[in-house]
Amino acid sequence: MSTRRLVGPPIATARKQEFEDPKARAAYVKKFLPAKDDEPSTRSRSRPVRTFLRLCLYKFLLWVLFSITSVYYRTRYVKNFILNRWFSILYYHHKTPELIQKDVKQLDRLPQHLSVILEFEKEGGVEQLIDHVAEISCWCACAGIPTLSVYEPTGALKKYISTSHRITTQRLHSYFGKKRPTLRVLAPHLPSYANGDTEGLADGESPDLEVIFISEEDGRESMVDLTKTLCEMAIRGKMTKEDVTVELIDAELESLTIPEPDLLILFSPCVKLLGYPPWQIRLTEIFHLPDNDSVGYQVFLRALYNYAKCEMRFGR
Amino acid sequence: MPSNGLRTSLRTRRWLFSLPPIEWLSLRIQEALIGALRQGPIPQHVAFVMDGNRRFARQSHIETTEGHNLGFEALAKILEICYKAGVKVVTIYAFSIENFKRSKYEVDALMDIAKIKLSQLSQHGDLLDRYGAKIRILGHRSLVNQDVLEAIDRAMELTKHNDKAILNVCFPYTSRDEITSAVQSIVALATPSKSKGRHLETLTEEAVETSDCLLESHPQSRSESPSSNTTMASTVVSGSPNSAPLPLREHIDFAGVHHKEMLDLESISERTITDHLFTADNPPLDLLIRTSGVERLSDFMLWQAHQDTDIEFVDCMWPEFDVWHFLPILLGWGLKRKRFLREVKLDEERTHSRGANLSRDWGHNDYVQEKKGL
Repeated sequence: MSTRRLVGPPIATARKQEFEDPKARAAYVKKFLPAKDDEPSTRSRSRPVRTFLRLCLYKFLLWVLFSITSVYYRTRYVKNFILNRWFSILYYHHKTPELIQKDVKQLDRLPQHLSVILEFEKEGGVEQLIDHVAEISCWCACAGIPTLSVYEPTGALKKYISTSHRITTQRLHSYFGKKRPTLRVLAPHLPSYANGDTEGLADGESPDLEVIFISEEDGRESMVDLTKTLCEMAIRGKMTKEDVTVELIDAELESLTIPEPDLLILFSPCVKLLGYPPWQIRLTEIFHLPDNDSVGYQVFLRALYNYAKCEMRFGR
Repeated sequence: MPSNGLRTSLRTRRWLFSLPPIEWLSLRIQEALIGALRQGPIPQHVAFVMDGNRRFARQSHIETTEGHNLGFEALAKILEICYKAGVKVVTIYAFSIENFKRSKYEVDALMDIAKIKLSQLSQHGDLLDRYGAKIRILGHRSLVNQDVLEAIDRAMELTKHNDKAILNVCFPYTSRDEITSAVQSIVALATPSKSKGRHLETLTEEAVETSDCLLESHPQSRSESPSSNTTMASTVVSGSPNSAPLPLREHIDFAGVHHKEMLDLESISERTITDHLFTADNPPLDLLIRTSGVERLSDFMLWQAHQDTDIEFVDCMWPEFDVWHFLPILLGWGLKRKRFLREVKLDEERTHSRGANLSRDWGHNDYVQEKKGL
């Protein structure tokens, strides 16, 4: 091979010059290149029928693909539905704290702050929402999770703090009997409500369970309010640009709304945050069950299991 | 050994897919699928958390750096599909500020990879050039070494004329840092100035600072306005005949200062913060994909992903994430969006508000122009 290359005929001097001069070389090479590169557009202009047919074909293909996907989703839905039912039969709490405690006993770690997203539904109304809150509160109390925050975009729950407290304490009674855990219900910017549950507690001691109601206004809006406050301070000369740090915003938002939750449970079939406070969700584990749309104990339990298995790495 | 088996199976798979007839067929199918997908709704803005490079390397017993390299290969393929399918903006989480906590060796290796890959990507005739994509780096510039900064600037310079699509590379980035710097710049705008000179200084500082974040249009507009103000004012002072008379100067001054300082605190809204983020002029985030099965946002796109964004957690490592993982997600998204649009159509009133919303988002540049003009 190499010998052949060596032996190859020497390029004539005129030819050589042609190759050395870049312009001449370009002209030489151009003869062997295909025509201009805006060729495809001219082709499509000159062949409208073909383009049209291709478009039709693509549209048809998309229709086929969508149909297949929808059939797949439907089968998956049936499969998951049966699975979820099976789980809910297998793991049912029977309103006994001991059963729930037994379920969570083997978990290495539990979230200290659990958050859930509940959606307001027209059929169920507020009653259904409060009912869900009461149920989830009981599970948390049994499992030993001290803080529960409930995100509901419209803020309907915030108007029923005392009612929620009453209904939840009733539910706790039915779970625990006479010695029920103490409960406090609160929402940002509203007085907290404990109905005598915190009377026996010393200062700084918190009740067994704290339920916090948050809504869309505690998300982006709270950050806008904070920005306004900071700007106001800046105008008065109490603050400069350099004073605004991640720590400052973090501390302010924590006192204004909620601290960072450890685990967020969605009871919806796909992950959409619906305006959940953005700052707080940084490292929160997000759990959802595909194709699930009900609030059930099995979702709660599977979320806790999933959480316990997960290793925290903080980017390390 | 399972890990060895994994490696072999991967190698076999690669070998199989590199066979000419199979490769040809797979390319044809891909093209047809993408052509079909383009006929339906396509997300305008997709974000990726490229998680799992290291775990993949550990599992298949290769060097961590090699894992990152494979991750980049996967990225190049996915990018190509995105742009072919008509995605306008792709945002990738390349390096978190938290990642500086990793070993120095790995950080250095990552920086090297970033340097090489950035110049590779932005080269003439390569991926970005082919699809008319402009590269932008979102993040905390001051944390990066000088040589990497040079590579970044070169890459941006090379691709700055492309206007069909955008590739956002989040490089030393955390969302909290982004939000904080947005709040900072708003506070800086509100800060009253003792003297005019000081005011201009802070403003230019501000502009530099934000262009540090490598945003194009906004900081420019911001840095432009004060300077144009001064030139206008100076021309008036020097008394050039054809320029504006005195009353107008006052007006400009008043309007300019008023606008710059944003004295009207009530005008601060969600949009103000959105406009000061790194992703200011991008369409809203439609789809966020995180690989490796970790179900967390990890300080990425917190503000952007909070309302209608579909978040998908995929249970495979990033180097394994390929077309056949990605296309079904796109398809699912398209179907969901189609159903959503149909629902909206049924409800006339909601259609109206949604349309208004969309047009507001898309008329965003007009909005900025309007603000500038004020």
